[in-house]
Amino acid sequence: MANNMSVAGDGRKQFIVVKIGSEQYGIDISYVDNIVRMQKITRVPKAQPYFKGIINLRGEIVPVMSIRTKMDLEPDEFTDVTRIIILKLEEHGVLGILVDEVREVVTLAPEEIDKVAYDAKSSKSNFINGVGKHGEELISLFDTNSIIDETETV
Amino acid sequence: MDVSQYLEIFIDETNEHLQNLSDCIMSLEKEPENMDTINEIFRAAHSLKGMAGTMGFKRMQRLTHDMENVFQEVRSGNMSVTSGLVDVLFQCLDAIEAYLENIKESSDEGTDDNEAIIQELNDILAAGTGNVPEEKKAPVEKPKEKQEDGKHSKKYLDIEFSEKEKEELKDAESKGLNIYGFTVYIQEECLLKAARAFLVFKAVEDYGNIVAYNPSSQDIEDEKFGCDFSFYLVSETELEKFLEVSKAVSEIAEVVGEKIEYSQLTAAEEKKEAAEAKEAVEIAKKEEKNEKPAASSEAAGAAKSAPAAAKKSSPGKPVTSRTVRVDIEKLDALMNQVSELIIAKNSLVSIGSTSDGGVVGVNSQAFHEQIEYLERITTGLHESVMKVRMVPIESVVQKFPRMIRDLSKKLNKKMELYMTGEDTELDRTVVDQIGDPLQHLLRNSADHGLENAEIRKKRGKPETGSIHLNAFQEGNNVIIEVSDDGNGIDTETVKNKAIERGLITPEQGETLSQKEIIDFLFMPSFSMAKKISDISGRGVGLDVVKSNIEALGGDVEVKSVLGEGSKFIVRLPLTLAIIQALMVEVRGEKYAISLGSIETIEEIMAEEIKYVQTKEVIHIRGMVIPLIRLDQLLDCEPEEKERDSFTVIVVRKGDKSAGLIVDELNGQQEIVIKSLGKYINNSSKIISGATVLGDGEVALILDVNTLF
Repeated sequence: MANNMSVAGDGRKQFIVVKIGSEQYGIDISYVDNIVRMQKITRVPKAQPYFKGIINLRGEIVPVMSIRTKMDLEPDEFTDVTRIIILKLEEHGVLGILVDEVREVVTLAPEEIDKVAYDAKSSKSNFINGVGKHGEELISLFDTNSIIDETETV
Repeated sequence: MDVSQYLEIFIDETNEHLQNLSDCIMSLEKEPENMDTINEIFRAAHSLKGMAGTMGFKRMQRLTHDMENVFQEVRSGNMSVTSGLVDVLFQCLDAIEAYLENIKESSDEGTDDNEAIIQELNDILAAGTGNVPEEKKAPVEKPKEKQEDGKHSKKYLDIEFSEKEKEELKDAESKGLNIYGFTVYIQEECLLKAARAFLVFKAVEDYGNIVAYNPSSQDIEDEKFGCDFSFYLVSETELEKFLEVSKAVSEIAEVVGEKIEYSQLTAAEEKKEAAEAKEAVEIAKKEEKNEKPAASSEAAGAAKSAPAAAKKSSPGKPVTSRTVRVDIEKLDALMNQVSELIIAKNSLVSIGSTSDGGVVGVNSQAFHEQIEYLERITTGLHESVMKVRMVPIESVVQKFPRMIRDLSKKLNKKMELYMTGEDTELDRTVVDQIGDPLQHLLRNSADHGLENAEIRKKRGKPETGSIHLNAFQEGNNVIIEVSDDGNGIDTETVKNKAIERGLITPEQGETLSQKEIIDFLFMPSFSMAKKISDISGRGVGLDVVKSNIEALGGDVEVKSVLGEGSKFIVRLPLTLAIIQALMVEVRGEKYAISLGSIETIEEIMAEEIKYVQTKEVIHIRGMVIPLIRLDQLLDCEPEEKERDSFTVIVVRKGDKSAGLIVDELNGQQEIVIKSLGKYINNSSKIISGATVLGDGEVALILDVNTLF
């Protein structure tokens, strides 16, 4: 996925840091189309369980996915800071993912990103393709394509 | 002359002519003596030839020329129409179509001379007339032929007179005046043709009165003519004088004229009558084509409306443009904007109904009136846009009679295709894609459905098998039925085949319903043909039909009685984008149901629910209707306590009904259908899409057709 990241000249990339459960995750900013507040999600019967439903984004129908359900975490709790991150992937269309909170935007240099070894047994690590170090904190970096691809094969 | 810019028009019109020819040849085969048809064919071939010539497609011109020769002989009664001739003619059409394909792709007609076909045509011609094809034969009978050969023909002979004009001519003659007919040819490079024409008229009117024009004087004034125009005048002066003065006008290439007796004119007219009238239009049409360099868009429109005019056999005036060709993409854009407008209107409606005039400074009464007005306008606008997009399915089905004829020969079975409802209209995008599936179904009927003549005789059926294609509208759907009176589907054989292929076990086979067995036919690579032919039997048939039709939001149903025939029922949505829907609520969730499929809405008491085979049903007006609890179907939370009364929406698909139990009705609304996108797994297809409501909320659209 490296070829499609927003590269700030010297190979530095920008990530939106979000909180899901107790962990912090980074989403490559080049995939993010929009961040919207929590709104009414219309359930779609018979859809995959990790799809919470669809929302109306300025007249467009956007499916919303729960990362928590997908990673086998406890169900989403909707609060004032819950946000829907709208991801836009060329040719794949638009997809919203639910996060507990949006924190900040960080810029990480290549040396601040560690690759993680794949552990096929853990469904969670399948979506992570690196760990970023930002100051004292660790940020798991989402492999945006793997979220999408797996969704599509269903 | 650079003609590339007219290529598109040429292709369109050639297609039209080809279709026309094909239709006519079909009917000619049935009624070989019908002069109207023969004339029609002759004209179409002639136009084709002219157009191909103008565009510089020499091979196409040659082929059509030879076709025209044949018809010329047929028309003058020197030859009769035989089945062999019809076969060759169809080959010609195919060849012309092949030229056209080449032209579409590369703007070039290709290099195939089709010598074989031309040779065959000439052979038939020679055999039929008993001599070598000679164009100059019977010159009196074919003024048009002459006109093709000579550069400056006497086109005035083709003028069609109105009653008034006839009167005038007769009057003039009785007064001892001379009647002259003239055709004036203007040089092709002339820029102000109308002005030249005016000068000619002015010059001749010094010596006589012009009685009739072709094209009409108005059209000449508007420069709506090619490089020539014809007129009749009455005068005392000698012919030479007129030729002299009109030739004196600059940029006039040639003037042909002669003195004509009134009796001559009327006699010719009476002889030809209606045919002549049509021909005049044809000539007008031909002139329209020449005019293309001047005004191509007009030509396109006029040429299109010309066939219609020909039917009415109106006099030879070029019909002015009443149609506009629009790119379908522009219509799509328009449609999208109308959709957005409807969503905006819906939100205004919902603001209006919730605020109850509480909006600051809004006069509630006036506000509501205006909203209602707006509603009417948007609904009207939507309907208009929809109508613009609707085209009759004729354009698709008109090629089928020819196809069935070919199949009949190829399969050596006698069959006849009967079509009704060709004028049924569908959204353009649907019509464009419905051709292949229908073709498949027809081939299927011809190949698998109909038995051969021997078996039919044994079964006491008429030797000629019949295939019916019926189209009609039903609610928000268009139904196209393809039926045959053939063998029907042998469910036992299908079942055995399914077992043989390991799709089901013999035990499972015992319990399958007829419908379930027939469904196997729609599975990929499940062909029932015993031997593979190039018509069908490769197993890529019905599954493609099904998936194509489902992609359009429709479905296919089969009814079959063994020994009596089968019927394929294709159901298509009338529109793709906006529908009238009933909004319902189930456990607080909003769903839209297309109004077209709703029959009635009933309030029933809990005790009215009966059980048949452990399934819930209700008994209304003599009908037993199975009930579907939407909350269960849609996996909603169960209700805490059972209600004692229910709202039931009775929906229908064909002759089947079902009752849907909902919690609440929210009224009727115009909704814009949006796709759910491809992420969400929607394999059950219960949800056909989503829509945005006035308040911004999203409601799902239930496709009740999937419930049956």
